[in-house]
Amino acid sequence: MILWRAGMRNVLRHPWLTVLAVLGVALGVAVVTAVDQANEAAQRAFRLAAETVAGRATHQVVGGPTGLPEELYRTIRVRLGLRGSAPVVTGHLQLSGRTFQLIGIDPFSEPPIRSFSSRFTDRSVLTDLMTRPGAVLMLASSAAERGLKRGATFPADSAGVRWQLMLAGILEPSDEVSRVALASVLVCDIATAQELLGLVGRLSRIDLVLPGGEEGAGVLDEVRSVLPPGADIAPAGARAGALDKMTRAFRLNLKALSLLALVVGMFLIYNTMTFSVVRRRRLIGMLRALGVSRREVFTMICAEALLIGIAGTIAGLAAGVLLGSELTRLVTRTINDLYFVMEVRRLPLLPAALWKGALLGVAATLAATLPAALEATGAPPRAMLSRSQVESRRRRLVPLAACCGVILMLAGCALFLTERGGIVGGFAGLFAVIVGYTLLVPAGVMFMSALLRPLLELLLGSLGRMAARGVVVSLSRTGVATAALVVAVSAGIGVGIMVGGFRLTVQNWLGNWLQADVYLTSADRGGGRYRPPLNPALVRRLLGLQGEAQVTLSRRVRIEGASGATEVFSVQVPERSFLRYPFKDGDPALAWKRFSRGEAVLVSEPYSYRHHLHPGDSVVLRTSRGERRFPVAGIIYDYGSDTGIVIMSRTGYVANFGDESVDGMSFTAGPGLSLARLLELVRDRAGEEQVTVVSNAQLRQATVEVFDRTFAITGVLRMLTMLVAFVGILSALMAMQVERARELAVLRAVGLTPGQVWGVVCGETVLIGLIAGLLSLPLGIVEALVLIYVVNLRSFGWTMQLAITPAQLVQAVVLSVTAAFLAGIYPSLRIARTSPAQALKEEE
Amino acid sequence: MAEPIVELKGIGKSFREGDRERVVFRDASLSIATGSWVFLLGRSGSGKSTLLNLVSGIDLPDVGEVRVDGAALNRLSERERTLFRRNHIGFVFQFYNLIPTLTVEENVLLPLELAGLLTPVQRRRAGELLDAVGLADRSRAFPDRLSGGEQQRVAVARALVHAPKLVLADEPTGNLDAETGRQVLDLFQRLLRPAGTTLVLVTHSSEVATLADRVLSIKDGVLVDGAGLPGARP
Repeated sequence: MILWRAGMRNVLRHPWLTVLAVLGVALGVAVVTAVDQANEAAQRAFRLAAETVAGRATHQVVGGPTGLPEELYRTIRVRLGLRGSAPVVTGHLQLSGRTFQLIGIDPFSEPPIRSFSSRFTDRSVLTDLMTRPGAVLMLASSAAERGLKRGATFPADSAGVRWQLMLAGILEPSDEVSRVALASVLVCDIATAQELLGLVGRLSRIDLVLPGGEEGAGVLDEVRSVLPPGADIAPAGARAGALDKMTRAFRLNLKALSLLALVVGMFLIYNTMTFSVVRRRRLIGMLRALGVSRREVFTMICAEALLIGIAGTIAGLAAGVLLGSELTRLVTRTINDLYFVMEVRRLPLLPAALWKGALLGVAATLAATLPAALEATGAPPRAMLSRSQVESRRRRLVPLAACCGVILMLAGCALFLTERGGIVGGFAGLFAVIVGYTLLVPAGVMFMSALLRPLLELLLGSLGRMAARGVVVSLSRTGVATAALVVAVSAGIGVGIMVGGFRLTVQNWLGNWLQADVYLTSADRGGGRYRPPLNPALVRRLLGLQGEAQVTLSRRVRIEGASGATEVFSVQVPERSFLRYPFKDGDPALAWKRFSRGEAVLVSEPYSYRHHLHPGDSVVLRTSRGERRFPVAGIIYDYGSDTGIVIMSRTGYVANFGDESVDGMSFTAGPGLSLARLLELVRDRAGEEQVTVVSNAQLRQATVEVFDRTFAITGVLRMLTMLVAFVGILSALMAMQVERARELAVLRAVGLTPGQVWGVVCGETVLIGLIAGLLSLPLGIVEALVLIYVVNLRSFGWTMQLAITPAQLVQAVVLSVTAAFLAGIYPSLRIARTSPAQALKEEE
Repeated sequence: MAEPIVELKGIGKSFREGDRERVVFRDASLSIATGSWVFLLGRSGSGKSTLLNLVSGIDLPDVGEVRVDGAALNRLSERERTLFRRNHIGFVFQFYNLIPTLTVEENVLLPLELAGLLTPVQRRRAGELLDAVGLADRSRAFPDRLSGGEQQRVAVARALVHAPKLVLADEPTGNLDAETGRQVLDLFQRLLRPAGTTLVLVTHSSEVATLADRVLSIKDGVLVDGAGLPGARP
């Protein structure tokens, strides 16, 4: 007990060091937990929604972009006598700016499938739902939010048309999980949905509940035999799985960034614990002389670390939950921008993420403490091991550490070269390079401070020399602090260069891709990437502009297939524009003929990467006439979708999919027509329709905005990593201050003014910042190269330009020096203010 | 003659200092009788403290055997040596080496706790010892509130609290003025002599050495009886 009291009082005597250590762990844990929480919440919300909506369905019959004919349901239900089947029509609606999923069902065939349909036993609700136009059901909470009572009417927008809906009743899910999942869902009768979504006579899918085993397989074959060309049957979970896979790379990238914060946090803990041991080497020596065994010393240090770890973890988890809800918003926004519409309204507290954070926090603290605890127990039980001995022992380890670092970096590089490692291999390699590089940092610090010493001497005289020497003399602390700062700053450089390069690439790509002057689309973004078709009358009106301007029509759809969904973008494009497409592979002139006739397609770079396709290979798509092979005529750069797209001429699309609808139009002004006039003409003809008309410049601007929004979360994580490093530097400097109090008191005693002492300490700090900044440049550039050529390529299949500007690098060094300087202000002021008499009086 | 409590046989010990090797002991032997007071005189760096480290098991000889109270320390494991030291040896250092984060009383109780002897009877003994060294009223103070002499008196109480058979003192008066140094030696006289505790004490002072039953010095790596050293202070 007495021994523990000695340890605990030691912690309390240096409250700031303890607080900083706790803060370091807390920040690391908070970032990891928050990202985990956000990723998991988004993933779970999506799965829940998909599962609740799919209900007990085991299989789904799905069709092409225009869905399935209604007769198919009758065939399955009546001719095959399959009672466990229900038709579904689904799409998106806007309710005062918020997107809701509209699910149209047949109340009579529902009961075996979905649990939320229990309310249908109420006759009046059922009657309303089936007879009143626009009758829908929603959750009580959603209705209350809008102040709606049963029977109330309210407006909703679908495909640019405004409808009046009526609240026929309240959805009453049986459990909390379904309640969360149905938060953004409206349920209505199938006929209502068909009318609202413009799908009269069509179904989105047919849900089936099939028995397992041979009986099920038999039924499955029967159903398959009645399917029209273009329809297919898939297990109900497959769709959720495919969407889950789609965002996997995105989520993995976030997780890696959050782990980086934890790595920096571990440096911080390592630094704190090492210092706590180094500072107490005398005390430990005394205890050992008094008969305290190695194991007891080891246990004492580990227990102390455990307490710091637990305190930091608890604080980190609390902060992580708060940060998590903000990150969830960012993640959801990015997923909505890039992948599909999803809303995570209520964040369920996820025990898995919390446990993981807790385990990681405590384990990381203990792991970071281990070297220090081992060093303490390895020290001889003499109370006279001097600091210079500790430091010189450390310095002897520098070449060994550097060798290990080089080996680790080479191992990391080997991982980059093995294509099979995938994204995880890419990140593992990146982490190996980062950790390897940090092992080189102490050697770098020694080299650089020797290099910079003359400069400091010139500027500050012998005080400058002292500062330069101080950095090397206390390498055991400055080395770790510098390494932590190097990791954080280099991450900033790496991610900054990558994002900058990506942005530039996207801007260049937009220049090639967006060739028309004016674009028109439906204002409804309910379906995420997929917009509802434009009103055919509007399309006809706008086609009347042909002659004054060149008009093109396009349509973006998702084609479900056996191996997941494929995004098909069909466009009616003139040869001149086609030839200017950003081709990566293939000859535009050769590709044109077959493309324009609908015989061949183009695929985007990510698509070719994911499916290992080259010009001459072919893509299989399920058309309305069954599966068909389309030869790949070329590969083009495209940054609009990370899952990749297939581009087809409109002629080919209409012929193969029987869908004549249009969701986008573009206009290129003819000779003598100004852009302003063209915009006016298009807007005039669009009239009251709910469409968006934008100029080329505006569309480019909007796309870049979406891009920047996507990377907002990266910026937040980068900042947090920097914050962890800042705390690291602060704690290292505070530790040095405690350690060197006596040494500096002697300097004060021999005549250094407080200002001069402040100068020495600040000189050291700035030197650490400068060295860290300079050392982080090569690592930052390597990180950027890995992110661009390994991680991004493996995650998304994108080729990006590498653009390093000197400003970025200078900025990083300035940031590093500023962080170190700021972190040094308080400790240096404290040192300068300490009375020399007080410091000298203290034991050794 | 009483049984020897400390026996050193053919001890060899050297340290590396840069490129060269400094030999401290070369085939040194020594036998200390139980209850006797043996003082070591010698210049700084002659190996006095090394001898204490060897006798306490803190350090090991390169060759030879160290027996304390019948136990061959050089054959014990690190852990066994630590436990042996904890239970059988009391240490007094030149720089007191009190644990700064423990109160005076806790410092004295620490060896008892380590040895698992923290009983009410032993606690009383600790109280009596603090009373004996004249610091009963400072038991709740932290070491940094005490003067050097007071701190050393606490260190003496700590060294004796678990009633060790052997007390090792490394220049216990080296950091104190003459009067305070005498007080500390008085304490040794009052507390150790009646209990028949063996004391091995390192000192520079030939005046202090007058209290010894036997005076040793280290010459060319060998322990020799008698003082008469050029470096000794009167």
